[in-house]
Amino acid sequence: MFTTDILSQVVINGLSLSAIYILVALGFTLLFGIMKVVNFSHGAFAMLGGYALFISYGSYKLPYIIALFGSAFTVALISLIFEFLVFKWFYQKMFQSMIGLMGLNMAIVYASVMIWDISERSIPSPDQSILTFGELSIPMDRLWIMSVTLVVLGLFWYFVTYSRQGLAMRAASQDLEIAAAQGINPNRIYKLAFFIAIFMTALAGGLYAQTYALSPFMGERPLMVAFIVVILGGMGSIPGAALGGLILGLGESFLSTFYGGAVSSFVSFGSVVILLILRPWGLLGKPE
Amino acid sequence: MIKAIQNNTESSSQATEMSPRKFTSWQVLLGLTFLILLLIWPQFTTNKFYFTMGTMIALSVIGASSLNLIIRTGHISLAHAAFMGVAAYTCVLSQIYFHINFALACALGCSMSAFLALILGPILLRLTGKYFVLVTFMVGEIIRLVFINWQSLTGGSNGIQEIPRGLDLFKNPTSFYYFSLLISFLCIVFVRRILSSDLGRAIDSLREVESLAECSGIPVSKIKISMFVIACFLVGFQGILQVYLVGYIDPGSFNSEASLNMVVMNVIGGMYHLSGPILGSIFITTLPEFLRGYVDFQRVIFGVVLIVVMAALPGGLMGILFKLKVFLLKALHLEVKNK
Repeated sequence: MFTTDILSQVVINGLSLSAIYILVALGFTLLFGIMKVVNFSHGAFAMLGGYALFISYGSYKLPYIIALFGSAFTVALISLIFEFLVFKWFYQKMFQSMIGLMGLNMAIVYASVMIWDISERSIPSPDQSILTFGELSIPMDRLWIMSVTLVVLGLFWYFVTYSRQGLAMRAASQDLEIAAAQGINPNRIYKLAFFIAIFMTALAGGLYAQTYALSPFMGERPLMVAFIVVILGGMGSIPGAALGGLILGLGESFLSTFYGGAVSSFVSFGSVVILLILRPWGLLGKPE
Repeated sequence: MIKAIQNNTESSSQATEMSPRKFTSWQVLLGLTFLILLLIWPQFTTNKFYFTMGTMIALSVIGASSLNLIIRTGHISLAHAAFMGVAAYTCVLSQIYFHINFALACALGCSMSAFLALILGPILLRLTGKYFVLVTFMVGEIIRLVFINWQSLTGGSNGIQEIPRGLDLFKNPTSFYYFSLLISFLCIVFVRRILSSDLGRAIDSLREVESLAECSGIPVSKIKISMFVIACFLVGFQGILQVYLVGYIDPGSFNSEASLNMVVMNVIGGMYHLSGPILGSIFITTLPEFLRGYVDFQRVIFGVVLIVVMAALPGGLMGILFKLKVFLLKALHLEVKNK
């Protein structure tokens, strides 16, 4: 059962799952870390990303890379309207944001049911071929997911560590008032962080919809994943989101291959509950 | 410790006499009118639809007001519907396998849910704030997964189609309505009694400043756990009656969305007043019926309502009413009481 052949396949599947999970969770943790908003409408933005990719790549047949980044960019740009109409009211209000954004989630999901009906669609894969290295065989679409994610994560890391705006974002997440006293405009930082978070979520949503299926309700799973990953890694912690995404992706791929989907969900939920009780601030977070 | 509690009881019982917790006469009048209306409207209609609606509202009031008991201790549980499901499954399964009568099975179901709450409560209630919300969300999901995956017992995601007969009065929509009204009335009275007693005062204090409450000799975790257990016991009635209203068990009705709905009822109505969840459940249960035929659009409206309420009116409907009252009193040049 545990041959190298199967195990390597499990690891590759796990890594591509982790890539999507990390992207989803990074957006979530960014919104939480800087604005203290628990984004219950995260799945809805992932779903919008899926539809944007469906339209640009599935219907209009744009080149894959342009379609992928373009659709995520468009969704993030359009979502700034939601930032102006909805999110603005909930910054720094953790509890109100939870319920209010559940409302936003409901509104977006059912509005897209009205636009696109509830039938499931599939987005064509960019490349069906399989790459073989000796015994190792890697499906090309998985490789796409991993490389796109790596590029985005790299850019994000560079932006946060080396650019002035990234520095301002880090400062705002540590202490907003002091940051504002240093001349950082919180509203601009909020808009920037919101844009980046939604960009990554929409990108992840496109990749997710391509791997599984696209429907207005597909956002539930990414939302749940974002929850689990962020709790695993620690709320608001960026390296925590990366670590949590890796653990969840690999663990889920391993467990669901060998023991079935039910066991894998039980284990992931169960371990999160145990972690929450013993170490509520997560693996890499800081206790409050 | 005990002495401190006794002292505390004495001092707060003195305060009760002066407190605004007693009903004022116009509140009693309003409540009685409302109750009489609820009792007599079935005489003027024969439409089955209205009876079902009335029953549904009465049932959701049970869930919302019992959840209010947990919310008052400062915790927001997203596993409430899952506990409701535990009671419903236990009730139906015990009737199928042990052939016991309905009343006993009902008691068994609610006790089972309370028992589960008693086991989980001490562990879960160590957490506060957002962590409690998240952990109950996960626990609710785990319970739902058990319902779906334990196929030999629970029938998997199809649920249980053939449920035992239950009481005779369940066949008649009118008597079902009166029965659920009675249960939900008893439930509200029970919750109200707890919240307006010295215990309720202790609950309020531990919500506001937990450490200070503990220093004053209030057994904080004991109270929290017992409120959690009582609330889960009460919500069992909703689960069981709901199953008999629909006629079969559907695991989908015990998911996190159902729990969320209960929280939303509390939030829209106003959390820190018992009339809040009652108003909220009337609002949330009837709103979809006004927008029938536009099922998707209704959900969109619903979402927008939630956003607006949370952004602009954190006190909920009760908050609006209270502001209106203050405004009216000021306009009439009367003195503003209670705050």
